[in-house]
This record gives sequence, C-alpha cells and structure tokens, in this order.
Amino acid sequence: MNKEQILRAFLEDELFTEQGLLKEGEAEKFKWTDPRKIKLIEVLRLSIDGVMSSETEGVSSMKINKYLNG
Amino acid sequence: MCYSGENRFDFSEGMNVIIGDNNHGKSKLYDAFYWAMFDQCFDTGDKKWMPTRHFGKSIISDKAVHEAENGTMVHAIVRVTFKNTDKDQAYTIERKLTAVKRDDEVTADKESEETVTFKEFGFNQGKEITNSAEIEMLKKRILPDNIRPYMWFQGEQVESIIDFGQTSSLTQAINVLSNITRFDQVYALAESLDKSAKDEFQRKSRSFSKDKDKSDELEIKRNQILERLDLLTRDELSKRDTLGNADEDAQRLMSQFEDASRMRDLDSKQRSAERGLDEVSEDEKQERIDLHKKMFTHQWVLKGTEHLLKEYNLKYAKYEQSRLNKMAEVQARLLIENEMLQEIQTRLPINVPEPMYVEQMLEQEKCLVCSREAKKGTEAWESIKQLLDRTTANAREVEEEALSKHDFSADFKKLQQNGYSMDRVILRIDDDIKKTFQQLKRLGKRRKSYAEDLLRITGEMNSMKAGTSLDPTKAKNIVNELQDKQDLMKRFQIDLGRTERSIEQLKEQLRGIEKELGSLVSGELPAYLEEKKKVLENFSIVAKSTRDRVFYRLVKQLEEEANKHYQEMMQDNQGVRGIIKLVESTKGNYMPRLVDENESPLMQLNTGNIILIKLATIMAIISARQGSRDTDLYTLITDAPMSVFGEDYTIGFCKTVSRVYRQSIIMSKEFYKNEKLLRELLDSPDIKRGKIYKITPSIPDADRTNRKSLTTQIKALN
Repeated sequence: MNKEQILRAFLEDELFTEQGLLKEGEAEKFKWTDPRKIKLIEVLRLSIDGVMSSETEGVSSMKINKYLNG
Repeated sequence: MCYSGENRFDFSEGMNVIIGDNNHGKSKLYDAFYWAMFDQCFDTGDKKWMPTRHFGKSIISDKAVHEAENGTMVHAIVRVTFKNTDKDQAYTIERKLTAVKRDDEVTADKESEETVTFKEFGFNQGKEITNSAEIEMLKKRILPDNIRPYMWFQGEQVESIIDFGQTSSLTQAINVLSNITRFDQVYALAESLDKSAKDEFQRKSRSFSKDKDKSDELEIKRNQILERLDLLTRDELSKRDTLGNADEDAQRLMSQFEDASRMRDLDSKQRSAERGLDEVSEDEKQERIDLHKKMFTHQWVLKGTEHLLKEYNLKYAKYEQSRLNKMAEVQARLLIENEMLQEIQTRLPINVPEPMYVEQMLEQEKCLVCSREAKKGTEAWESIKQLLDRTTANAREVEEEALSKHDFSADFKKLQQNGYSMDRVILRIDDDIKKTFQQLKRLGKRRKSYAEDLLRITGEMNSMKAGTSLDPTKAKNIVNELQDKQDLMKRFQIDLGRTERSIEQLKEQLRGIEKELGSLVSGELPAYLEEKKKVLENFSIVAKSTRDRVFYRLVKQLEEEANKHYQEMMQDNQGVRGIIKLVESTKGNYMPRLVDENESPLMQLNTGNIILIKLATIMAIISARQGSRDTDLYTLITDAPMSVFGEDYTIGFCKTVSRVYRQSIIMSKEFYKNEKLLRELLDSPDIKRGKIYKITPSIPDADRTNRKSLTTQIKALN
C-alpha cells in the first residue's frame, strides 16, 4: 500500500462524514496532494509520512504538535 | 547422506515433484536447498533447524567417505542456481563442506564455505559476489524473511507456521498480505499524541483556574482516578487474556468434544458390555456345570423311568402276594408239623424219660431205662440221640425257612416307598430340564448379544482412535477439561463484568471532574489548544477504528482466499466439507472454525482438517497477493506437505498448488506406490506441471546392511 492508499483507508472512517469533514464518496477519490484544509487529514498525512519514512515517534509527534500549535 | 557423485535436478515453471518412498532421500533434497541458502539443516530429532557444525560429516555422502583414501579430502557440495529468464541472468549459491580422512577417521570442518556467483546468459564466466551485505540482499530477494515460512516448509512444520493460538501468528500472515504494521504505528502515535494533548490541556486549564486550590485538589483526584483506571484497564486486559485463553482452549476442546464425549460413552458402554459379558459367561459356565450335576441333584438320571415304578409295583404286589401265600403255607405246615410233633410227643411211651433224662443218658452213655450201655458213636447212643433231635430239629427247620429264605419284604417295601417319593420328582424332570435349557438359551443369547455389542463398540472405538488420535483417557480428560474451562470462563465473565462496571464508573467520575475543572476556568483558553485536543482525540479514534477495519477486511480477504483453496483441495473427498470462518476470540486473535452454510459450527475438526485449513491459509496469503511482484517470483519448496492427510486430497492439493504458485518443488511419497495418482499427476490438464522426478536408493532399505556404497538414482518421468 502506498501513502495515498493508506490515507484513503483512514478517510473511509465514518467520523469524517459524520462530522462533515468529507462528503460521501470523497474519501475514495482523495489524493495525497489534495489541498490541506482539514487539520485531522493533515495530521494523518504527517503521521503516515513519518511511518513510511521510518521516522521515530518522537520526530513525528514533534512535527504534528508544531503543526497544531501553529 | 544418500546422495553420492553428481546429482542434478532441473526445475521449470509449474509444479515440480520429487517422488520417493520413505528413506529415499526426499528430505535430504529439501535440506539441500535450505543448507545452500541458510547454512542450516533440519534435525529430525529435535525438530529444529541447526547449523552445519551440528551435523558435521553426516552431511557428506557415506559412500564418498568410505571410498576416500586416508590423507585425502571429501566434500559435500550443493549448488542452487536461480534463473531470471526475464533478464537473462542467473545467480548460483554454492555451499561446500570439506572433511579429511586420516587413519580411517573422518573429521569435517566446523563451518561450510559459501560461494555466490552472478552470471549473465551469453557470457561464459560468472562473477563472484564477495560482499556479504550484497549476498544477504540477494538472498532476501530470492526469499524475503516474511514470506519464507509460507514458501519453504516441511509437512510436519505446517502446524506451527500458522499457530492460531498465538495472537501474532495471523497478524504475521496479515503482514505478508498488507502493511498492517503501518496502521499499528499510526495508531500508537495517535494514542500518545492524544494523551499528551489532554495533559497539556489540563495543565493549561489549571493555570486559568479561578480557584487554584480547588483545581489542584481536583487534579489530584483526577490523577488518582487515572491511576486506578490504568490499573483496572490492565486488570481488564489480563482478565480478557485469561478469558481469551480459556475460550481458545474451550474452542479447541469443543472441536474435539463431540468425538471425546462419544469416545467416553463408547468406553463406558465397552466397560459395561465387558462386565455384562463376563457375568453372563460366568453364569452360563456355572449353568453348564450344574447341568451335569443336575443329572443327580435334580434326579434327571431318572428321566423316562416313570413306568418302572408301575412295573415295580406290579412285581412287588405279586411278590407280596406270593410271600403271603408262602407264609400262609409255611404257617399251615408248621401248624401241621407242630401238631404232629405234639402228637408224637404225646404218643411217646410212659417209660420214655423227659428230654433232660435223654440228654443225661447221652452224657452217661447208658440207657437209664434198660441200664444197657450205649457208648458214644454206637447205634444205641445214636438211637437215644435221635429221640432228642427229632423234636427240636423239625421245629428249627420250619422256623429258618419262614424267617430267612423269603423275607425281602421290608427292603422291597422301602424301595416302593422310595419309588413313590421319586414319582413326583420324575414327573417334574421334563419341566425342570426344559426350564434349565431355556435359562441356558437365555444366557447364551445374552452372551451373544453382549459379545456382538462389544465387537461393535470395539470396532467403533478403534475407528475413532484411528480417525481422531484420541484414546479413552484423553477423551475423558478432554470432557473434564472442557467442563473446567467452561466453569472458569463463567467465573471470569462475572469478574470481567464487575471490572468493566468499575471502569465505567471511574470514567464517569473522570468526566465529572474534568467538567468541574472546566467550570473553574476563568477567561478563555487558547482556541488552538481546544482544537488540538479535539483533533488529536479524533485522530486517535480514527486511527484505532481504521486499524481494526483494515485488519478485519484483510482477515476476511484471507478467509475468502483460504476457502477457495480449501474447497478445491476437498473436491475429491466425500468427508467433512464446511466453510472456513476466521472468528475473533475475546483475546483478539482469530481462530479458524469450520461451519456449515448456516454458519453453525461443524465440530469434527480432526488433525487432517486443521492441516488443510492451515495449508489453505498459507496458500491464501500467497494467492491474495497474486499478480504482485512479491509472491510471483518466489518458489514454494516443501517436503511431504501431503503426508498428514489422506490420498483423497492429493490431487486437489496439487491442482491448488499449481494454480497458486508460479513455481513449486514438492517432495512427495504419495505418488510412489499409487499408480492411479501418478497417472493423474502426469496427465491432469488442471495441473501445471514442471519436472517430475522419481528417486530410488541404489540398495533397497531392506537389503541394506550399511551405507558404504549407497547412491541415489534419479529418473525423470516427463
């Protein structure tokens, strides 16, 4: 599975539609490079990126915290 | 080692089979692949892969060792060439072990030598690869570690390759299928971020509190609850674990329960039948002994003598009549004689003295009447004596005749009385004999029935023993153990429910404290902090549910693929079919169940079924990725994978293997003696065949006294 496929797997969660973050069917068309408007999706992107590039948990946490604090 | 000289096998795409009986060298060939690649051979005693030094000279051909001259070296060399026909390239991995013979003693090197060469087709010379990292990488390309257990395995290892009892076992298999570990890593990160965001939020809230003391007090309470919550959560996990283990054990036992309980019943019936048979046989034996005794104790010997009593009575009556007549006759005669005697005596002369005087005369040998001498023995003395004898002699003769000569009357009467008393007994003899024989017949019938029952039960028991690998003791233990496990589960479920309720209560308290803490906040907390807390909480929820959903989807994919293979392997078998269902246990791992179309569990899972399910799952791991570069390039190499299930499954297995694996090398004995199976293997259009070889030892097992001249003959069958 590549990054995009992994991200789509997360986006398929019903929480996204329940909270109005995504519309029905949007998850399966979602691209890795799509605009970064939703913070939860960006957090997912950062964590997937970290995991795929074998980053340590600490580094990934730092990046995500930095993003959310900013 | 049974291979001597140069032995060569060429394998092509499809299913390659090495056919040989037990001890023909199949496992050694399998070992050769493993040895060349990983410097290890399988120790059949310890059932473990061991390094070369563990085996030493036994890796080298016995014949080569025997024929080597003192002072010379002998070698075992295995060379495996992997060809990449797409790129016209080949890699050869060669492993060599050297030994030296001195004074007829052979000493092998501790370590083997490895040579790896790379060659491009069209070039004569290959290039040796000396960089160990490069060699390792090459080997990982040939057979990656995560796929290795599912591609190279021995039949007897199948059980442990996928151990459904281990939580990690299916996860490992799922890992081959997917990148589930990526999801696990994301979830771990999400959890840690969520916790730290919450802590950060709490810290910030306290700093905005209008009542610091109250906030601190609530924070202490909050931490205490969190600590207790942590303890209870761990306790809950541990209980779930125990419950899960007990559930798995119970499921495992449950799969054997039907057989075990049937065997226990059979055992009990067998014992009861044995007891019954013993008792009835003993009764019958006793009855037969009594049968002979009854000839006398029940007077059966008199059977048919009813008429004798009548005849006797007649004869006795006749005798009695005759006796009475005779008595009367004697009495009459006696009467006459006595009368005559009286008459004689009364008619004696007056001067004839009384008998006492006659006796005196005889004594004095003198007649007292005439005073003449009458010497003893003389005529005169005899005449005197005659006077005395005549009266007494006549009376005695009559008496004797009457008393002894004819008087059997008392005995005959006694006999008659006996006869009368026996008469009733004799009349009952036929009835008695009839009843005795009826009883014997009944006992015989019961004995026969017990014997038949025993035979049937023993037959059923033996076939159960053969089919289930159970024995009565094991069966009894399974039934008892299952009962224990079910009791344990009940206790733990109650306990777990209590813990869950406590956790829920603590969470409720925690929510209350957090709400209270929130109410103490004066002013506005930074918006980003609230948002961060919310985002990371959602991140944690999404990460967990996605991980579970992806894992579940993969399990279902695996289940679907495994079922395809299972059904295909079962196609020629009329036995238990069923559908494989991977069911999540309370412990969190997945256990295979065989269910019918209504999803009701089929209990009769024997070792053969379990191995088939595991093989189907192994194939599913590969086939689920079919078409991907990962699995298409790897060769299945397996030794005796079919040995644990019946020949009914052999062809189904081959068809499935040839469909799932682009190339496979299978060592098998199933085709060695079964000509029909061999023909099917060689002709079936559903099997994509590679090369089929038959291997036989130069000296048959039975004729072999030593291995000094042993070689292995290889014959290509296609």
